[in-house]
Amino acid sequence: MAYSDKVVDHYNNPRNVGSLDKSRNDVGTGMVGAPECGDVMKLQIQVNSSTGVIEDAKFKTFGCGSAIASSSLATEWLKGKTVDEAMEIKNTDIVNELTLPPVKIHCSVLAEDAIKAAINDYRTKQGAGVSAETVSH
Amino acid sequence: MVSGPPPSDYFAIFGIEKKLALDLEDLQRRFYSNSREWHPDRHARASAQQLAWAEEASATLNDAWRVLRDPVARAEYVLKGEGFDIGEQRGKDVPPELLEEVFELNMALEEAREGDANAKSEVVRALAKFEGLLSEIDSERDTLFVEYDAASARDTLSRLRALLNRRKYLQNLVRDARATLA
Ligand code: FES
Repeated sequence: MAYSDKVVDHYNNPRNVGSLDKSRNDVGTGMVGAPECGDVMKLQIQVNSSTGVIEDAKFKTFGCGSAIASSSLATEWLKGKTVDEAMEIKNTDIVNELTLPPVKIHCSVLAEDAIKAAINDYRTKQGAGVSAETVSH
Repeated sequence: MVSGPPPSDYFAIFGIEKKLALDLEDLQRRFYSNSREWHPDRHARASAQQLAWAEEASATLNDAWRVLRDPVARAEYVLKGEGFDIGEQRGKDVPPELLEEVFELNMALEEAREGDANAKSEVVRALAKFEGLLSEIDSERDTLFVEYDAASARDTLSRLRALLNRRKYLQNLVRDARATLA
């Protein structure tokens, strides 16, 4: 099966590969996997906590070309969005942008799950941070 | 001689009850004897209909043999039959620590492939660990097999599915780690 040009482009020149310091309070980390193929994906966001805007996003994916392209594209889309806007990203948006064939849909699902997991992690940290502050007052 | 349309169920084609813990020797004996019975040579004087049934029975038997002799494929067959989704469930059953470990090992594998000697010894260690985990999983699996055969509880099947998901990751890792070290 041939990959679309966009997939090939992201695969050959993945954007935003790397990692952010996951111990930081303004960094959310999402780690997800697809048992059917054993692929794993880590996606991280760094958020400006006063504006809620995602200022940086990084990923590292051990998986197929579509999974790499999906997560690479996801990090591009995430930067500059607010956390709430990012929550709206759907795997179908990724499928359309990359023209993924039906057998590769789960790869885009992985990317959506990673985004949600990263946001949830960030929100949990922020929530925890707020209550810790409240306690200290 | 086949006297009617053969069953499509993999256990039924062997003439056994649906069970997860199977006696493989018994299964093999049945495989050979059924294969012989349904062989076209034995149907030289059979009607076209009977011959067609025998062929169908042989084909099902071959598929069933391939699936039932393998514990993982067998478990997946039973899970599917009971309405469990095998492929489509987003890895939710996999504990985060395992994903974390899988990720770390993948990083080490990548470094080892790029020629980092430290990474290589890390891979050796990780491989031993993951092989150990695999065999633990397999004995846990056998325990669940017996548990399911005794009570047919759905809960046993969900635990089995979660276990098989973990196994899948480990299996891929072990394969990749071995390939890197080879
Ligand atoms: S094949 Fe598994 S993520 Fe693409």
